Amino acid sequence: MAALIAKEFAQIGRDKRLRISLIVPPVLQLLLFGFALNATVDNLRLGIVDFDRSPESRDLIAAMTQSGAFKSAGAYASAEKLGEDISRGKVDAGIVLPVGLSRDLHRGQQADVQVLLNAMNANTAAIAQGYTEGVLGTWNQVKLKSGELHARFSQIGSAPRNLRGIAALHPAFLFNPGLVSSWFVVTGTFGLLLTLNGSLVASAAMVKEREAGTVEQLLMTPAGTGEIIVAKIAPLFLLLCGMVLFATALIKVVFQIPFRGNLLIVFLGAALCVLCGIAIGTFLATFTRTARQAQLMSFFVNPPLSSLSGALTPVEAMPHWMQPLTLVNPIRHFGVITRAALLKGSGLDILWPNILALAGITLVLLVLSVWRFRKQLG
Amino acid sequence: MRRILAQARKELIQIRRDKLALTLALLLPVGLLLLLGTSISLSVTELPIVVQDLDNSSASRSLLDAFRQSITFHVVPWPVTKPPMAAFTANQARAALVIEHGFGRELARGGAGQVQILIDASDSNTAKLIQGYSTQIVAAWNRTAGGAQRLLPVKSHIRLWYNPGRVTKKFYGPGIFVLGLSMFPPLLAALAMSREGEQQTLLQVYVSSIPAHQFLLGKILAFMAIAAAEWSIMMTLLFTFFDLSFAGDPTPFLVASVLYAFCVSSYGTMLGAAIPSQAAAIQAVALGGFLLVFLLSGLIFPVENIPGGLRWLSNFVWGRYYMEIVRDALLEGGGWPAMWFNVVVIGIIGSVFFLLAWRKMRRMQLSI
Repeated sequence: MAALIAKEFAQIGRDKRLRISLIVPPVLQLLLFGFALNATVDNLRLGIVDFDRSPESRDLIAAMTQSGAFKSAGAYASAEKLGEDISRGKVDAGIVLPVGLSRDLHRGQQADVQVLLNAMNANTAAIAQGYTEGVLGTWNQVKLKSGELHARFSQIGSAPRNLRGIAALHPAFLFNPGLVSSWFVVTGTFGLLLTLNGSLVASAAMVKEREAGTVEQLLMTPAGTGEIIVAKIAPLFLLLCGMVLFATALIKVVFQIPFRGNLLIVFLGAALCVLCGIAIGTFLATFTRTARQAQLMSFFVNPPLSSLSGALTPVEAMPHWMQPLTLVNPIRHFGVITRAALLKGSGLDILWPNILALAGITLVLLVLSVWRFRKQLG
Repeated sequence: MRRILAQARKELIQIRRDKLALTLALLLPVGLLLLLGTSISLSVTELPIVVQDLDNSSASRSLLDAFRQSITFHVVPWPVTKPPMAAFTANQARAALVIEHGFGRELARGGAGQVQILIDASDSNTAKLIQGYSTQIVAAWNRTAGGAQRLLPVKSHIRLWYNPGRVTKKFYGPGIFVLGLSMFPPLLAALAMSREGEQQTLLQVYVSSIPAHQFLLGKILAFMAIAAAEWSIMMTLLFTFFDLSFAGDPTPFLVASVLYAFCVSSYGTMLGAAIPSQAAAIQAVALGGFLLVFLLSGLIFPVENIPGGLRWLSNFVWGRYYMEIVRDALLEGGGWPAMWFNVVVIGIIGSVFFLLAWRKMRRMQLSI
């Protein structure tokens, strides 16, 4: 068996493409996904229609554009022109300040301000809506306190009919107070990478023997089928574990993700994830005869595996009937484990169900693929 | 022209014989659109939150009810004695609402009752949504149950254009449609072309009387036909399942679709001509067709969010221009004035791919 393992290593060593696919895709994917998938909503281009041109209206515009969420994209003469530019995608949002805004404020009448948001991207719209309401709310509070406005506002403000106060909400962000978007994406991509890359490498290695027609030679060796399988899988597993270490270093150095919990839990999960990938790759390889077919098969398996994992978008945002499906996905469990262990410092006492599930899935997949592989050898 | 058509026919016959490639071409785009179109979303609902009501007054219970009624949050019970942080490390909640002791008394006095919301920010986008929604819930509660003034100096009227219900699938559906078109036609084209190289059947082409550009055009035409089939199937889904319709003048979209089919087919053919190994060609297409379009075309997050060092790359990603056109046609309705530039760029990128493929063919022909 040692001889077989040595043979596998030698073969992998000679295979330049396999070697490249162990190093290049992980680096490329982690960096690209981590940097390109950025959910931060800021610097939205705000078109401004100011019919009032008063100190108040300019102050309001300044408050909107100073928040960092919006930046001024120029003034418009009419709301129609603004609407046109929103539909052409030149600005993302618009604010229309009506004639008489300042007059109303000094008379003690409520002034209406219209805000237009391009809601094509639902997520951006939801966050921009929150920003807008926050900015205008603060502006109202500041103006009321300063007493610049008509006395009617502050009278109503300070002496309410029912003499009741208000609830003041203080949000606090834990674990990622800087709201760094990449911390979520990178920890998710990690699992995607291990499983999908593992399956790619494994199916390539398995099919190679098939294509070259050397399976019979393997069978002629005195080794049993079990030994052949272990000898096939072990070197791949070791190499992929090397990739795990490499990717972990990248995560720490490039993205500066805090390692708050026990790294061993993450490595245990990663090892299981890699095994899952190998099992999937081996399983797929048994249905194919050429490298081309094996790769085409992955087009059928990878999309559901990655989209039902919660790696890039939160599981809670999926339709409810879809969410239970993610429970049989190894990437989902690994995602939960890395995020909890790295960012929140959760320990084994909390993560054991996920590790158990991951181990169970791995076992089932391994048994399935070994059974298929044996059947094929026999 | 006759030669081009004959070449296209030959190509289609070959695809029909390849069962795996055929299912890949026609079934997978549909599956992908349904699967990714429904699963990709950032609009979370029923997020588990824990509440700790340290006040336990009628006012605090009324505020909690406001949170219970929202569809964004789902209140899970949590003992007052356990620290709320433990709910985050245990993955049982994404936020914790803590109503401080004396909340009701403060409210009755006309002051400000203190409420804290702790948010698990390991997913920063969801954290921001939680902040926005909880602020809105509290503001609404202050207006109805609290003593907040009903007369505000400035009241905002926010209009959500093009997608007033903030339906996520209307945004991601067209995106996945573009992803499908960017992946499968070039994949088949690259496979077919690299097979000619792998099996040395290109030699037969060289000895026949067909010139390189006609040979390439014939091939590209065949894959444009496949792209058209995929296009129609996926458009049907967009109109039915995704509830979309043309928002304005559809002609820029239709013209761009033909050009885009040409562009992606040329891309595949070019790769196939350059890489005479089917397995390697698949990987190259996956890189360009999938990774670039998935990451650098604004499919999930706006292109503007990508850091500058990487963003310039997106100017060369053909999928980005088509994505803007599709979303414009189905949601914004900007028409030609908004989209003429994108249509031109797709045509240019497609021609570059074609010229590169042609040059490669010519070189190979001359070198033999």
